[in-house]
Amino acid sequence: MKDSFAQVAGEGDSVALFFYSDLFVRNPHLRDMFPIGMSGQRDKLLRALGHIVSQVDDLPTLVPFLQQLGRDHRRFGILAEHYPNVGASLLATLRHFSGPSWDEEIEGDWNAAYSLVAKVMLEAADENALSTPAWWNGHVVAVERRRFDICVLRVQPDRPLPYQPGQSVALEVPSRLRHWRYYSMANAPRHDQTVDFHVRLVDGGPVSPVLVRGTETGDRVRMGSPIGTLTLDQESGRNVLLVAGSTGLAPLKAILEQLAGRPTPPRVHLFFGARTRDGLYDLEDLTKLAGEFPWLTLVPAVSDEPGGHGFSSLLNSGDGDVEHGNLSDVVARHGPWDGHDAYVCGPSAMVGHTVEQLARLGVPRDRIRLETFADAQR
Amino acid sequence: MNSPNLPVVSEGSRLTPGELHSVVFARAALGRRGYDEEQVRNFLQYVERELVQIFGDKAALADEVNRLRALAAKGTRGVMAPEDAHFQAVRILSQAQQTADLYVADAERYTRELAHEARLHREAILSDAKGRAEQLLEEAHRKAAAVADAAVRTAEQMAPPVARPDTVPDGERRAMEREIAYLRTYSDVYRTHLRSYLEALLRNVDEWESSERASLPGVTPGGTANPPG
Repeated sequence: MKDSFAQVAGEGDSVALFFYSDLFVRNPHLRDMFPIGMSGQRDKLLRALGHIVSQVDDLPTLVPFLQQLGRDHRRFGILAEHYPNVGASLLATLRHFSGPSWDEEIEGDWNAAYSLVAKVMLEAADENALSTPAWWNGHVVAVERRRFDICVLRVQPDRPLPYQPGQSVALEVPSRLRHWRYYSMANAPRHDQTVDFHVRLVDGGPVSPVLVRGTETGDRVRMGSPIGTLTLDQESGRNVLLVAGSTGLAPLKAILEQLAGRPTPPRVHLFFGARTRDGLYDLEDLTKLAGEFPWLTLVPAVSDEPGGHGFSSLLNSGDGDVEHGNLSDVVARHGPWDGHDAYVCGPSAMVGHTVEQLARLGVPRDRIRLETFADAQR
Repeated sequence: MNSPNLPVVSEGSRLTPGELHSVVFARAALGRRGYDEEQVRNFLQYVERELVQIFGDKAALADEVNRLRALAAKGTRGVMAPEDAHFQAVRILSQAQQTADLYVADAERYTRELAHEARLHREAILSDAKGRAEQLLEEAHRKAAAVADAAVRTAEQMAPPVARPDTVPDGERRAMEREIAYLRTYSDVYRTHLRSYLEALLRNVDEWESSERASLPGVTPGGTANPPG
């Protein structure tokens, strides 16, 4: 089966193209479940298939992946009756691209494998449905534009949305249906259930420009189930280092709020970095928190502005002490961090460099939790 | 056929095995043996014509089959097997999807480029504004320093050189006068420049805001959302 898939996967995008066309020709009503542009969708399909096939011998890893996949698909409105349609088109695609090497034996193997995959996904989805809705409806209760391309949204879900600080949800706006983008809740759970999202406009993205520049109070959104592993290590008694680049601040601010709720919070250092000063969009609020909590040290940093001199420094006075340099270097300057748990979130380059620096400074890799955002927020 | 017991064939229908089986020839004339030669010859001619016709039909049919096979293989016209029709539909849908993907990618690239240019433009405006502001401060400082120097010189000329015990020492007084003159001029120059600069900036902001409102996605004068796409 692996060989058979390797041969087919060599055809790349045209395999996924054939699969979806075959699926929609046989079942035209399924087309509406997908966005108009399908390039991203095809990539996802091929990645998932490759992942499944490569781990087909390693069930302890594969099964949780499939279960998550099954749960994820609930918010798309996928039902049990859709699975056989997908299986039929998948087999037709494999048959079409395998050529003469396809025979009844291979077809039987694939059929059995797909049935198993579908069964695991469906069972996970059904079990999940007992406790969790397929999605949450919410409406925007506050919009704060912090910069021309950064916005803080507050959303009221229509029913309780339980999550752990640091987790994120997939978000869909009505004017960009079928486009789901992941955003972290930027606060610890509140009594009124509202959640904050820090959204940064990604040039050319279909969703983030709408969220940042076109969203108003009262607008509706849909949210998927909270997911993510950038959560607080509750067992640890160590001090905490939070390193946030741009809107990577969101999950770390939620964790900070969670720590603030403890009877005796640990010592916490929060590094908040951006390219320029106006990119430090939440500095005002963070400064207030740092003034309030004696256990919290806040270090803002900018990477693309020269050290203060002349009029610029005068204009910006009152912001407190903003350090200069790459965030990872600024963090390293303030070390050592070997007695700390580190939580890192931001653009992938910044996260990569920071993890490298921390490792160099002797922070064990298993004490660093991280998350990057890239295409997830376009 | 001049014999009544030969099969009667109408135009277009063919000789059948049953008809062949039921053929009856008349006996030959008295003194001769066998069938009537004339009848047999006529019948053989009839069978020959039929065979020629059948072979002709067979060849035409074979041609037709070949023509249809070729058509089906080319997949252009004519009746297709359901399997072929399905692949055809899949192919057409795939092409349509690729076209749509291309348009979406182009639109995304276009907005990305536009946004990137706008961002560069914004940074240029900001750095220009900062440069101007620094220049402005510089100028205010220069003018104020000149005025202060002049004030000190005038004071020296006007004030009598007698020392009064209840006043501050001369040197200190002159320094203070100089400082006061400096600050007054500095603040005047600074305020004038800042006012005109801020007014220009506000005008700019107003223009941007009104043009942005006009271009926001999902917002029309009626307040209804645009459909996606």
